[in-house]
Amino acid sequence: MEHGHEIGSHPLAHFAGLTFNMDTLMMTWITMAIVIVLAIAATRRIEIRPRGWQNFLEMAVVALLEQVEANMGPKGQKLAPLIITLFLFLVVGNELGLIPGFTSPTNDINTTLGLALMIVVIVHVLGVKNKGFIRYIKHFFEPYIPFVIINIIEEVAKPITLSFRLFGNILAGEILLLVLGMLVPYFVPTLWLAFSVFVGVVQAFIFTMLSISYLSNSLQDDHH
Amino acid sequence: MVDLNGTLLAQIVNFLILVAILAKFAYKPLMQGLADRQQKIADSIDTAERERREAEQLKLEYKQQLVEARSKAQAIVETAEKLAEENKEEILRAARAESAHILQKAQEEVARERELALAQLRGEVVALSMAAATKIVKEKMDTELNASLVSDFIEKLDDQKIGGLPC
Repeated sequence: MEHGHEIGSHPLAHFAGLTFNMDTLMMTWITMAIVIVLAIAATRRIEIRPRGWQNFLEMAVVALLEQVEANMGPKGQKLAPLIITLFLFLVVGNELGLIPGFTSPTNDINTTLGLALMIVVIVHVLGVKNKGFIRYIKHFFEPYIPFVIINIIEEVAKPITLSFRLFGNILAGEILLLVLGMLVPYFVPTLWLAFSVFVGVVQAFIFTMLSISYLSNSLQDDHH
Repeated sequence: MVDLNGTLLAQIVNFLILVAILAKFAYKPLMQGLADRQQKIADSIDTAERERREAEQLKLEYKQQLVEARSKAQAIVETAEKLAEENKEEILRAARAESAHILQKAQEEVARERELALAQLRGEVVALSMAAATKIVKEKMDTELNASLVSDFIEKLDDQKIGGLPC
């Protein structure tokens, strides 16, 4: 973005009584387009012997599938597309902000909190479906009734920590990149850029793994 | 910086759309491909295992056949040797008999030739004697003549025997 761009502020658009951050939406659509192109390019002709990009994507997907299988069991198979998409979206989104002229869709709390809330909603829906409404409600009062406070705090903390961790890391990375670019040009920002690439992958991985972990909790039958 | 608005809902919708698209266009072929590959690998391993077992079986069979062939060859050689030995004895015996036969025949032949020669010689001697006798009888048998005859004979004898040297 141009000099004088105010970090964290967004060009706004109003539609149907709601306000939208247009840059975030734009970057989200670009990210979606990239993810779709990559995924379809990798899977258009699945070969028995994987080559090139297919090999790379497969490696990531198989690793995620293994995690899903290990943590959620056979019931989690239905959620595998969601998990894989989540990871791909977050990786591409995080790295997109490192390209000059682009920003990460994940540097907006709306994106991260939206995804985190979606995960939490799925967690609770699956919990109710899996355990039944009464048992599900009951498990907040275990092992003793006063624990309901801790349990509720925990449930509220889940989406907040999940979303703010990602948001903070990505936004901080982009801010620091701009600041370093202005203070000590060339060498130091390049180092930080390289580190940000790493951070982007790690944060995407953390978000995905925690989502798997939360989802697996609600899928387990004999908890406690 | 941290202001929540409609973007949150939009992002959830965006993400769910992305999930739907990927699930439909990428996830299914990918899982199909992975399943195919797994099947293929399992098949390959099964085939390899089966072929290995078959090869082992074949090897065992060949080994057994080799042992059999070797023992059979041994037996054949032994039989051939025995047969050759017998043949040798037979041939030797036949040769010996043949040689004895030939020898006997030759001896007989020689004996017969000798007899024949003797008979011929005897005949010739008789004829010669007869010729001499006739010659003598043809000449007039007087003393003078007899004497000259004898001396003639002796002279001839001398000529022949001594080579005509003067006495």
